[in-house]
Amino acid sequence: MAGILAPGLGVLAHLERLENQMSRSRKQSEEPQSVQAQERVLGTKIQKLRHLRDDLKAAVRHRRGSVKACIANVEPNQIVEVNEQEALEEKLENVKAVLQAYHFTGLSGKLTSRGVCVCINTAFEGNLLDSYFVDLVIQKPLRIHHHSVPVFIPLEEIAAKYLQTNIQHFLFSLCEYLNAYSGRKYQADRLQSDFAALLTGPLQRNPLCNLLSFTYKLDPGGQSFPFCARLLYKDLTATLPTDVTVTCQGGEALSSSWEEQRASHETLFCTKPLHQVFASFARREKLDMSLVS
Amino acid sequence: MDAELAEERVLQAEIAAVRRACENPPAPWEEKSRVKSFQAIHQFTSEGWTSSKDLKNQLGHLESELSFLSTLTGINIRNYSRQTEDLTSTEMAEKSIRKVLQRHRLSGNCHMVTFQLEFQILEIQNKERLSSAVTDLNIIMEPTECSELSEFVSRAEDRKDLFMFFRSLHFFVEWFEYRKRTFKHFKEKYPDAVYLSEGPSSCSMGIRSASRPGFELVIVWRIQIDEDGKVFPKLDLLTKVPQRALELDKNRAIEAAPLSFRTLLGVLGIEAALESLIKSLCAEENN
Repeated sequence: MAGILAPGLGVLAHLERLENQMSRSRKQSEEPQSVQAQERVLGTKIQKLRHLRDDLKAAVRHRRGSVKACIANVEPNQIVEVNEQEALEEKLENVKAVLQAYHFTGLSGKLTSRGVCVCINTAFEGNLLDSYFVDLVIQKPLRIHHHSVPVFIPLEEIAAKYLQTNIQHFLFSLCEYLNAYSGRKYQADRLQSDFAALLTGPLQRNPLCNLLSFTYKLDPGGQSFPFCARLLYKDLTATLPTDVTVTCQGGEALSSSWEEQRASHETLFCTKPLHQVFASFARREKLDMSLVS
Repeated sequence: MDAELAEERVLQAEIAAVRRACENPPAPWEEKSRVKSFQAIHQFTSEGWTSSKDLKNQLGHLESELSFLSTLTGINIRNYSRQTEDLTSTEMAEKSIRKVLQRHRLSGNCHMVTFQLEFQILEIQNKERLSSAVTDLNIIMEPTECSELSEFVSRAEDRKDLFMFFRSLHFFVEWFEYRKRTFKHFKEKYPDAVYLSEGPSSCSMGIRSASRPGFELVIVWRIQIDEDGKVFPKLDLLTKVPQRALELDKNRAIEAAPLSFRTLLGVLGIEAALESLIKSLCAEENN
């Protein structure tokens, strides 16, 4: 083994020796000499360089041969193994990356010993929200081993309709329900956290977030009567309410401007996400304030 | 003298090259073995084999997972890469707030539609919660002629709704393929009566009858994607009838045709409704 490395070391040492010789002779040739003398020195130099080059090349060839012989003694398969292993590792990395990427389709999963564990990711308007999983056992009949779907989502109903005949349909339908629930929950949470100043009382909500009730004022601290809103989301696969009622606490006879506002609020709640409606209220308020001051 | 000087230069260059070869063996496997040392290669016998087998097993398992996901979602992702950039400033770090920007790029296909997505996700972690939001979404799709799709794509980009994009794409392509199959089926069954202006991928099917020239029924079948990303077919009937026939039509059957067609669809479903239309116009040929 040492013999294999030695040519390398030996060659380097050889090279150094010759280089020293070269620099010595170069120093000699720096002394002013006649042209003929110079030619003679150059000729000798060239010869020495040729020898050096040939020696080095031979040494390298010899070394490569020894290494090859050494490798040849080892199973040639094992050299192929190194390359194959690298290719496999690269392919593995690629497949792992692509599997991760499936999270962005909203539906991903892992094979398990029993079947498959599907992961449903939810989002609302670009905001990535909670994930839920459903662990399926591949048997006849197909069944759900366990899951993290909230109890108020009609999982059994959806499963009864689609699970046995079409897994894809079952999962996509569940996706719809879970995404809608996540979206409604997100809106309610944002209302509570970002626009508490405009609410005059606590936000009343059910776990499914499809029935919301709250009172609000456009000018907190002002003299106006608060509005009372009730939002019902009958369609559990939607993130906008189906039934909206806005009433004004306080007076039975509303002035026409109040009536206009009340009606416009009803429309707003039906067509825009809850927290965005309040954001526009807050903006309007800021605008009014700036006009006053 | 010049020739000798030149030769000297050449020789020195050659020596320098060989010298480099001594220090850095060119063959890649030689470099590997240098790192591992030749002894390690001898040891490779037992260890190397099992780790390669392990890799193969792992790869096989993951590839079947990939194939399952691809079938389930209808989406075939072929490439994915990401970069992460930490945007936490020192002020933020003091308040234990962390801000990270992820740049993702993925490409793949859904049947005959290929897509390439580039999007950014901003993650902000403060003491109470972690929020993740898509801050930028760019979608490139081929083929671009599908006008129904391009509107949907811009909507998805504006809303930054990744999941809706994939879900709707999957259903859209399913409907697209179904429409194509249906049109093709009718074209093959009634080659003289049915004509497709742009081949099976066209969005309308025409019915003519050789024995009733001047009459034409056109079924326009659009695949629409609504605001929430729900995909549904919209079929309409257009009629082309000679003037004379219109005058004879006391019951206004032709005027009512589009509406009647909708009812027919509801009762028979798409395929049966189309078949009944073809049969009604080409009654004699089928006897």
